[in-house]
Amino acid sequence: MFTIEINGKSVEANDGQMVIDAADAAGIYIPRFCYHKKLSVAANCRMCLVEVEKMGKPVPACATPAVSGMKVFTQSQKALDAQKAVMEFLLINHPLDCPICDQGGECELQDLALCYGEDVGRYTEGKRAVADEDIGPLVATEMTRCIHCTRCVRFGTEIAGFRELGMTGRGEKSRIGTYVKHFMQSEVSGNIIDLCPVGALTSKPYRFTARAWEMSQHRSIAPHDCLGSNIYVHTRGYEYSDFREVMRVIPRENESINETWLSDRDRFSYEGLHKDHRLTGPMIRKEGKWLQVDWPTALNFAANKLRDIINSKKPDQLAAIASPSSTLEELYLLQKIVRDLGSNNIDHRLHQSDFSQQENAPLFPGMSTELASIDSMDAILLVGSDIRREQPLAGLRVRKACLNGATIMRIGSIDHDVNFKLSENVHTTPSTLVESLQAVVDSLTSDANKSSIAKHLKNSEKSLIILGDEAQSHSQATLVRALCLEIAKLSNAKIAIMTLGANSAGAWIAGAVPHRKAAGENSSAVGLNAQTMFSQPRAAYILLNVEPEHDLIHSSTAIAALMAADFVMSLSPYMSPVHADLADVLLPIAPFTETDGTFVNVEGKWQSFNAVSPPYGEVRPGWKVLRVFGNLLELNGYDYICASEVRNELEKLLQHSNVPTDRTSLEKNTSNKPKGFEILYEWPAVCVDNVSRRANALQSILMPLQRTVSISSETAKDLGIQSEQLITLKQSDREITVPARIDARIPNTCVLVPKGVSLTSGFGDGFAEITVQRGESHA
Amino acid sequence: MKRLIKTVKSFTLWELFQGLFVTGRAFFGKKITIQYPEEETPISPRFRGMLALRRYPNGEERCIACKLCEAVCPAAAITIESEEREDGSRRTTKYEIDAFKCINCGFCEEACPVDSIVLTPEMHYHIENRGDNILTKEKLLAIGDLYEERLAADRAADEKYR
Repeated sequence: MFTIEINGKSVEANDGQMVIDAADAAGIYIPRFCYHKKLSVAANCRMCLVEVEKMGKPVPACATPAVSGMKVFTQSQKALDAQKAVMEFLLINHPLDCPICDQGGECELQDLALCYGEDVGRYTEGKRAVADEDIGPLVATEMTRCIHCTRCVRFGTEIAGFRELGMTGRGEKSRIGTYVKHFMQSEVSGNIIDLCPVGALTSKPYRFTARAWEMSQHRSIAPHDCLGSNIYVHTRGYEYSDFREVMRVIPRENESINETWLSDRDRFSYEGLHKDHRLTGPMIRKEGKWLQVDWPTALNFAANKLRDIINSKKPDQLAAIASPSSTLEELYLLQKIVRDLGSNNIDHRLHQSDFSQQENAPLFPGMSTELASIDSMDAILLVGSDIRREQPLAGLRVRKACLNGATIMRIGSIDHDVNFKLSENVHTTPSTLVESLQAVVDSLTSDANKSSIAKHLKNSEKSLIILGDEAQSHSQATLVRALCLEIAKLSNAKIAIMTLGANSAGAWIAGAVPHRKAAGENSSAVGLNAQTMFSQPRAAYILLNVEPEHDLIHSSTAIAALMAADFVMSLSPYMSPVHADLADVLLPIAPFTETDGTFVNVEGKWQSFNAVSPPYGEVRPGWKVLRVFGNLLELNGYDYICASEVRNELEKLLQHSNVPTDRTSLEKNTSNKPKGFEILYEWPAVCVDNVSRRANALQSILMPLQRTVSISSETAKDLGIQSEQLITLKQSDREITVPARIDARIPNTCVLVPKGVSLTSGFGDGFAEITVQRGESHA
Repeated sequence: MKRLIKTVKSFTLWELFQGLFVTGRAFFGKKITIQYPEEETPISPRFRGMLALRRYPNGEERCIACKLCEAVCPAAAITIESEEREDGSRRTTKYEIDAFKCINCGFCEEACPVDSIVLTPEMHYHIENRGDNILTKEKLLAIGDLYEERLAADRAADEKYR
């Protein structure tokens, strides 16, 4: 630490720190285009030229290390002249079409041209024009506006790990583009929109729809993965109008979670909130027809039906299933209603099919360390995790750790492509996943023949084991977890269970599990879980934000049970075709932008957010609907005035409860290797929940082939089919004939079924036996 | 001396006659009678009357949906919605001006980078039905088409001051 002088003001600086950093820390603004604190220094825009005492020429502040006693002048005549000259050069080729540019009003070049530009240009020759490239449905390009700061190029190579954009040509002919024409594949490509200081890269879904000055900015939390990325939601429309439309989502800086980035799923999913997709008011089914009714009618109808069923049958004939992306308040109130009615059948573990030892689970499955600490790990073992797509920003941190020298290893059945170097890659089948983990445990306990994974974990000071969706939805998920815990214990590693949805941790805390009440208190009776509540059909079901055809791993059993049920009530912002078939009451609840709520992220961080706009039409926030529903059922203690009261009640409960710790023990159960085919499920990153499935731009990045079933080339040969020919899958009385693609990621004798896409809608019954045949060709 | 002049002036009713002189000049001068509404006085090319949207000579609407007029309007009379047209250009899907809110200040015309929104010299208009006060894009363009010749001439006349 030493002091330098900037504009006559003493400023603290560290060794190796650049002048621009020191100036930023002291609140002295130096104009810049190419410099970004998260990217390497390029010093190619020259906008940050400043005068330094005893240096002949002006120097770029972003590439000049601070030296003790240095005297910097950012506003001297020499510095200003240099900056003005640079601005004049930049404006030689930059088109002056701000009125039609989407960046207009929030453009760094526009702002700085106001301060450093001349009012009349001296350049009269023709301007350079660059042909546009189509780089995908998310990012719009207007390459004539590019000023070659190369932020997007550096983001691709340094942060995202994809060399998708690059600079070709020299001098006036230099241009940014994809070297070969292709669409961007990165799961975080949207960040180049924020990085671009001009309007060369802009958001395609948002294109030309609004202006920066028309919108109001609201803080919120991203609802699609367990990290709880901090976001700003931009809305347009008057403060007190009926409906304020969400125009776009941008990242809100939070160094401990999302840094300055945001995944494409979180950024573009807002399209799913558009009113075209939404229910406008409550609906009930009368004599097979859907009627739009008012709230009292719908709620009374539902309450009477539910009371009748509970009185005529047993209370345990009621079951509720909730999405783990619902808010803490909704989940807490739902479980409270279900428990007050005398049932314990509530669950949120939509992808799970092994529920053994659930009573030994900790308060919530999550991380035993902080997200930011992933950066500094020495070894990371990914177990059944496609971290790049499941939690894209955690994936960036794993990559950062890899660049810092960490060893990244993976055990899993799907050979996902990654953007970091995998030192060890054990490609298993679902049934041999357990054996592979057991082998690691064995070599950690015995000194002889250590597996290299065990060696790396043991020899690293800080190591982490990350469990992904495959590990959690595995048919022996508890065993997989117990083995990982064992490995963690033996190698002194941390563990991170990357749960589904934004609020799995919250769902556990709120008590949306059949064996525990709110705040982790054990329930005297254990209810039915997400699998058994459908395999043992109930008379009445409540669905909270769940679309059974897509969200559940046991879709086919669930749909059969829901069809047979006397009464099904669905709380969701949307009506899916399957809802229309099987539900009796549809209560439209507000999505995350229109309700107050809380998400608990994988670290256990409680992040509350407020509604950014009033609910659309007759839609009401979920916690309010459940509160009134509780009152109508004549239950006590549902007189909440605001969402934070619900949260406070839960927080108070948490203070007085004995928080359970993880006591999962290693129980060897005889694994019977299934004969024939094994089934693997994958929820493509943009199909994880009801909001993202309706976001058009996101859906269009889903490759046509990603919507089909995949098999390995060997399996295809055995079946005698070629890529994109039909195969027939049969599982528990349900049969679908779909095109199959040959996919090198899949092990032999396995079939990968994508969930959340229309092709496999309603298919899937966990890990029940599956038969795969060559499909009848209709040609 | 000053005092003396003042005293003389007040005794000779100097200021009274000075005022009456102005009256007398108008009284005996040439009379101007305009048979309004059959006749009208000439008006400045800068006159700010009814609003209109202009087109280019090839028939393409000028407006590019930059929304600067909406932003500058002190009465918040302008509402614009925009999208990407099929040919990739930025266009409005809705351009409405509430004639009741409009105060004819002309800021929108000043803000417009493409001379699209203009104030015509037309001052004779009335609104009979509720809702007619909302000037839609079609109405504004039709007014523009009607007055295009005059609008172009006015702008040409005022060119060197713009």
